[in-house]
Amino acid sequence: MRLRSLIALALHNLADNELRSWLLGLCAFAIAAFAVTTVLVVHGAQESLHLAADRLGADVVVVPRGAATQVDGALLMGTVSKTWLPSSDVARIAAVPGVAVASPQVYLESLSHASCCAVSRMFIVAYDPRTDFTVGPWLHQSLGGALGLEQAVGGCRVTVPVNHNIMLYGYTMWLRGKLEPTGTNLDQTLFVTLPTAYAMAHSSRTTAVRPLVIPRDSVSSVMVKVRPGQAPARIARSIADAVPGVTAIVSPQMFAAYRSQISGLLRILLLVLGLLLVLAAAVTAALFAMAANERRRELGVLRALGASCGAVLVALLGEALTLALVGGLAGALVAAVGVGLFHTLLISALGFPFLFPAFGRLAGEVVLGLALALVVVGAAAALPALRVSRQEPADAMRQ
Amino acid sequence: MRIVGVVVVAMALVIGVVPQFTHCKAVSASSGSTMSMGSSTTMSDSSTATGGATTMGAGTAATQPTPMRCYWTARAAIGVALPLAAAGVLLFFSRRKETCRALAILVCVLGVVTVLLPTVLIGTCQPSSTVCNTTMRPILLATGGLTILIGLITLVRNELTAEEHTAAMQAAS
Repeated sequence: MRLRSLIALALHNLADNELRSWLLGLCAFAIAAFAVTTVLVVHGAQESLHLAADRLGADVVVVPRGAATQVDGALLMGTVSKTWLPSSDVARIAAVPGVAVASPQVYLESLSHASCCAVSRMFIVAYDPRTDFTVGPWLHQSLGGALGLEQAVGGCRVTVPVNHNIMLYGYTMWLRGKLEPTGTNLDQTLFVTLPTAYAMAHSSRTTAVRPLVIPRDSVSSVMVKVRPGQAPARIARSIADAVPGVTAIVSPQMFAAYRSQISGLLRILLLVLGLLLVLAAAVTAALFAMAANERRRELGVLRALGASCGAVLVALLGEALTLALVGGLAGALVAAVGVGLFHTLLISALGFPFLFPAFGRLAGEVVLGLALALVVVGAAAALPALRVSRQEPADAMRQ
Repeated sequence: MRIVGVVVVAMALVIGVVPQFTHCKAVSASSGSTMSMGSSTTMSDSSTATGGATTMGAGTAATQPTPMRCYWTARAAIGVALPLAAAGVLLFFSRRKETCRALAILVCVLGVVTVLLPTVLIGTCQPSSTVCNTTMRPILLATGGLTILIGLITLVRNELTAEEHTAAMQAAS
């Protein structure tokens, strides 16, 4: 029996029983959609945390004791931390043996819906240009020089175009460039030098709806780069011993609260996906067993006319796989488009950031979801199809 | 065609109603904010980019509320939803192939306009975290895309049934 006839037979049978076809397609749709959503969110979140840690570029991050989660939240979600370190700690951290550079940062926020701020509640990172190694190297490479007074760079999602002025607290700065995306709040963050931040605070007394207050001799965190060959974990312990009242976090352990939140979500999603797979497989197997029983005579006639066991099996599996392909593809595409469209809404609902992948990786994840739907539906349909296809034609027609 | 008609009317309802509650001004009004998110602020420095809409450079640094883009997108969505709902009702009752074809094309065109409203024709506010960007825009894009898809499927199915009908008539004669 030729392949074309088998395909025609499969399509004819699918059109004949619309309800069964819709149910099987729906099973494949649900499997692919859920699998793609899970992979997109969880993988995107892990990627996002990885890129955010890379963007900071520090081996060790020193924050006030007990403020690790607040600083994580500030960097990832833009919720500004209100805890401060005395700026004298920067010199003490730099003096710890094994520390190559210690660079302070101050975290600020623009006012909410105030006429003096062009962007509402914008997260601002002020860094020390003399010691900075997070934004500085990128500035030298991309813009050919450091930031001066009244200058800023932004994350890729800062709404003001490059080479335009941006006004915060009534203080106007020139946006010189934008950084690569990370999927975190760093994408909507403005990076300025400490002198610019102090100038903005000074100016805000007369130009802003509410003045910007930066506590004297205080910093939000200290980024530490260790000397080559030194173990960051050992240096972090040394810093914690040498400087009281601080927590030193090694870069891979940054964002620990978010990592555990993502792991928790992953466990729940995998559990639901597992249940969904079992349920979809059971529904598919039951529907196919019913359909195969209904068509026992018809398939017996087909065998009597010369169709081999294999041909009947291929025709039956062809039906299942066609439905799985159509339903799975629709599910995977709907999930990808849905997650892409509602990306920002999902971030605020989940409470952690995730990066939507580039086209190449997205296509790979869609194919993965589709493959899962094909495997589950195909495997569930194989058993009843095998049983019916092996039946003797005479027996089948007699029943 | 009856099912398609009902689905198109449902799409029209989503396109017409949801944006009215998810543009920045509506949300800030319901939350009781003193300074509306849906209002841009005129600024004294014409070269300074605002985070919101395009009202810049005119006169004083006072706050003068002006409806932002998302407000007008929401208003324009009503203008798309009404003919779409009418097309849905007509699809529900129509039996002639030619009428169905014309209505399917109209549904497609209105779907395209729905997609273009928040992207090209009017747009939404600039800050990506505003409610019009997180909710209204994706809903309009999704329903617009779905409307285009429904229109295309209706058109193709209509053409296929028309061909079958012609073939049957020829066979009968």
